[in-house]
Amino acid sequence: MRKLVWLFLILAVTLSFAAKDIIVVGTTDKIRTLDPANCYDYFSSNILQNVMVGLVDYEVGTSNLKPVLAERWEVDETGKVYTFYLRKDAKFEDGTPIDAHVFKYSFDRVMRLNGDPAFLLSDVVEKTEVVNDYTFRVTLKYPFSAFVSVLGYTVAYPVNPKVYPADSFYEGIPSASGPYKIKEWIRDVRIVLEANPNYFGEKPKTKTIVINFYESASTLRLALETGEIDVAYRHLDPRDIIDLEGREDIVVYKGNSPQIRYLVINVTQPPFNKVKVRQALAYAVNRSVIVEDVFAGLAKPLYSMIPEGMWGHKNVFPERDLEKAKALLKEAGYDEKNPLVIDLWYTPTHYGTTEADVAQVLKESFEETGVIKVNLKYAEWSTYVEYFLNGTMGLFLLGWYPDYLDPDDYVWPFLSESGAKSLGSFYANPEVEELMIEARKLTDQKEREEIYYKVQEILARDVPYIPLWQGVATCAAKKQVKGILLEPTQIFRYYILYWEE
Amino acid sequence: MSLKNYVITRIVLAVPMVFILLALIFLILRIIPGDPVLAILGGKAPKEVIEQKRHELGLDKPIVVQFFDYIGDLLRGDLGKSTLTGRPIWDEIKERFPATLELTLFSFVIAVLVGIFWGSFAAYRRDSGVDIGARMFSMVMYAVPVFWFGLMIQYVFGVVLRWLPVGGRISPTIDLKVITGIYSIDALLTGNWQALKDVFEHLFLPGLTLGLVISSIFVRMVRNNTVLTLAQDFVKAARARGLKERVVLFRYALKNALVPIFTMMGLQFALLLGGAVLTETTFSWPGLGSYLVMKIRYRDFPAIQGTVVFFAVIVVVISILVDVINALIDPRVRY
Repeated sequence: MRKLVWLFLILAVTLSFAAKDIIVVGTTDKIRTLDPANCYDYFSSNILQNVMVGLVDYEVGTSNLKPVLAERWEVDETGKVYTFYLRKDAKFEDGTPIDAHVFKYSFDRVMRLNGDPAFLLSDVVEKTEVVNDYTFRVTLKYPFSAFVSVLGYTVAYPVNPKVYPADSFYEGIPSASGPYKIKEWIRDVRIVLEANPNYFGEKPKTKTIVINFYESASTLRLALETGEIDVAYRHLDPRDIIDLEGREDIVVYKGNSPQIRYLVINVTQPPFNKVKVRQALAYAVNRSVIVEDVFAGLAKPLYSMIPEGMWGHKNVFPERDLEKAKALLKEAGYDEKNPLVIDLWYTPTHYGTTEADVAQVLKESFEETGVIKVNLKYAEWSTYVEYFLNGTMGLFLLGWYPDYLDPDDYVWPFLSESGAKSLGSFYANPEVEELMIEARKLTDQKEREEIYYKVQEILARDVPYIPLWQGVATCAAKKQVKGILLEPTQIFRYYILYWEE
Repeated sequence: MSLKNYVITRIVLAVPMVFILLALIFLILRIIPGDPVLAILGGKAPKEVIEQKRHELGLDKPIVVQFFDYIGDLLRGDLGKSTLTGRPIWDEIKERFPATLELTLFSFVIAVLVGIFWGSFAAYRRDSGVDIGARMFSMVMYAVPVFWFGLMIQYVFGVVLRWLPVGGRISPTIDLKVITGIYSIDALLTGNWQALKDVFEHLFLPGLTLGLVISSIFVRMVRNNTVLTLAQDFVKAARARGLKERVVLFRYALKNALVPIFTMMGLQFALLLGGAVLTETTFSWPGLGSYLVMKIRYRDFPAIQGTVVFFAVIVVVISILVDVINALIDPRVRY
């Protein structure tokens, strides 16, 4: 009998240790595709970032790039030819070596298939070459100093030519080259990641990660509270986060996010074609009410389009000053008797459930001047996009997630003539455009920084956009789950998660 | 008209009905504002990429051409590809439908059982506490929003009592070999009892929510019909012969009261398939209802059209089946 008790105890202990080999994560995000050539949404990229690797990656916890599949690289004096020297021990899940031929196949495939993110490469890449088995060369159309940052995004990850067809997108399970491989994937139900034995780098701290998909934030929260999941990552509502902070068994993590939110002003549409009106709006906007009342402190006020924490950032927009706003409006021909009547547009679900509140707070902050009357209008996302591309809306809320972590991705898409058109501000300023092209050519970060300071100052003077707030990334997990790191790059690394009793 | 001719007529009439529905959906989707390509890419991608994608999806063609292309594909059995994922719609429907079917069947069983037993018992004990309770129940449950009731149930059984899971179809750590896609059947087929228990635990709360909401209609209908039947002469005659009350209620009264209710049940079942949308969203149930909601948000035209056509065909088939069974049960129902 005693033997049996011992056996039972040993079994129980073994099982309890075995159970720690698995962490269950819950999310309300969905996976669209796991083909890097077509993947352009956050969560699909996030899975790829854990099962695949690229030439470069960000150092854990920072936004500094480090070589991964490339041991090193050289840029020639024209700034257009990049030569990458590859590591020789990298393999796909099935043992296929990751060499220069694989890279050429992958880059050419992305540009040939022309999927959603392909322009990130095809806009700048002139040609790709195999110099030898482990030397890969890329020639650019023009010098572009942020090119290596683009290589950190999943679009530039090499794919296994034995698995990914050359002439069509691939819908199946990726051939892993990173810390994890995909053991099971039931769309919109769950995806199971398991340690990849063929990965050249450090083994993941937890052997199996199960990611469970939920339809709503409330169910996600309940799943964490009932213990069905160990980690809730994207998207809990701000109020739920505050509630969960009060619990002893759950830890809430907050981190920097490169996501920014802003108001777009169509500078061609009256009355927004008057710069004084735009400047007055920038003075009237109340960021602190949005941050505190709507997001319960889970956001940071933003005074430039380049987010805080990124090099090149400079606070250029003014603090709230209603008197100054009124004075500017008076100069533009508006006062209490002849108020400025404007429409403010928002989209109700695309940016979460808080958007209507944000719009209401903005309306109130503008109307506090006593000189502005705001009509709130909204449209569902697909209509909204159509409206801003057509120039239908004069003043509207929008948000931005970067494709690559470089100040260029926060100024070029907004202030270049073509970019501003596609974001609905229709701003065009040759001086700014020249400055940005100059910054793209330079490789010295200090010199580029000086240029971005100038660009931001012009942005605050011309006000085609009003930056409002910067996101705070959040995650809630059981107390015993460690290794959660909300990085400035937004990469959520499952392979550093582990249990600690 | 003979039964055979009646069935053939119904099937022939169903074809233009589905066609009209399809044309309407097709037209409505294209009239309302919102572009599927823009919904996916936002303003980030360059104009050429947006244009090329629109061209690939055939959205730059005139509506009439798009419609006939679509009908042509449909006649070849091709529902098209999702603009969001690029996958064949039929594959996506096949993945999602078993979940909806499982939830619907489970809810239906709950609704029918509660409806028949409570409804008939309430009729038998007319004006008693059971009857008043039944009437109150059907009124309240009919009025209550499904998602609110679902959230309350989740809170009580999931968070406070911690008896049952609040979302999904199966625990993340349980391995189940998927054969039919209906997890309870798959668990039975593979003899995976642990999975079976887990699947039923997950099925219970959403099934109960939807089942009780639907049962409100059944309780009221069964009660009212049984009250009427109990007052009829053949019931009085049965009682006069000294038959037990149980036999009178179930064999005589209820059996006859059920004929019109059966039609109602058939139609409710068909509606349930589509009506599970809110329950699926509340309980993160990965079925066709939540799929449709997601696709509408992204203006995924082929997916919305495909799902609606699929639902329409099911509703038509079920209503034909109900009519046929009715005609078989009750010879007076021959048209």
